[in-house]
Amino acid sequence: MFDRDDDIVERVVQQLRQPVSIDPALDARVMDEIASDAAPLAARPRFQLRGGRWPWLAAAAALAAVLIARPWSGGGDSDNPANAFQFVLVAPQAASVSLVGDFNDWDPTRSPMQTAQGGGIWATTLPLAPGRYRYAFLVNGVEWRADPGAPRARDDEFGTPSSVITVGGTGS
Amino acid sequence: MMLAALLLVVQVGGTNQDPRLERLDPETRSLVVSVVDSARAAGLPGEPLIQRALEGATKGAAGPRIAAAVRRLAADLGTARTALGQRASAPELEAGVAALRAGASPEVLTRLRDARRPPLTMALAVLADLVASGVPADSASAVVLALAPKARDADLVEFRRAVERDISLGAPPGAAASVRALNTGIRYGNTVDAGNPSQPPRPPSRP
Repeated sequence: MFDRDDDIVERVVQQLRQPVSIDPALDARVMDEIASDAAPLAARPRFQLRGGRWPWLAAAAALAAVLIARPWSGGGDSDNPANAFQFVLVAPQAASVSLVGDFNDWDPTRSPMQTAQGGGIWATTLPLAPGRYRYAFLVNGVEWRADPGAPRARDDEFGTPSSVITVGGTGS
Repeated sequence: MMLAALLLVVQVGGTNQDPRLERLDPETRSLVVSVVDSARAAGLPGEPLIQRALEGATKGAAGPRIAAAVRRLAADLGTARTALGQRASAPELEAGVAALRAGASPEVLTRLRDARRPPLTMALAVLADLVASGVPADSASAVVLALAPKARDADLVEFRRAVERDISLGAPPGAAASVRALNTGIRYGNTVDAGNPSQPPRPPSRP
């Protein structure tokens, strides 16, 4: 019985060891696909004001709301349009996941992540202005996780992992 | 007019009125407010300090630990500002702090400022992220300084990703950065020495 299993395993291993030829242009094609998917999202304006009877009044009210809501913001570059970024965490066992970071005042209630039914892939999209942001995922309200797909913050002064995302401006 | 007056009242309130800091205990809040106000008086951004305090509060850190982290960040923002110049933006200063904490020297930040048009945020961040990936600080500094004059932000990000891919496939981090840099055709081996005559020409920059 074991000999038969070993034989099967050996044949599978031999099959897996066969060299696989990968098109050298694969990287470029994948990146093109990603770019073509991401472009419409990134190009989406942060705020959309529909024309109505009082478009200018609506614009002024929106501006006032933003100023009143975030009067202490000093770190952002308001001259640059914000781009939308998608954050994803694979956590099949999680009941809830929140995205928490510098962009939402580290408030776990502000950016709850959504999952497709039973998929365990949690995702959310946020607009971010140029800058460098620390963030982490809060799983089930108790467990902090870094983003496996992003650089880790080196200075985890509070004993839990964080990641960083850098949003570029109009660099040279 | 009334809106302007309302905004003025809100702004004059300063950090003491920032409701976000109510998540801190009174003693810690007082310490944090003091550091933030001092930083702002010195022309440093206060928002990163507030965010660091909020991070600590949300993560359940003790008050003294939060206050120490905020103080340390304020000091590092000051060092970054000295290295990058008075006109450095808040994101640049934050990325500068990350690079300093990764092991880059203030001199490297100054040379980067002299070698690249602003904003420097992405170049500084890539430097910090390369070190976080395991690339020795000296090697990462040399590579980023060499790429800085001509590479776009997107090029720097792609460079970092390529190095990270190589590392994940088993390449030693220092070698991965070196090989990828050589593949771009740049000459970078001795660009970290201050005053090196082989430095690229200095583009228009700021004080």
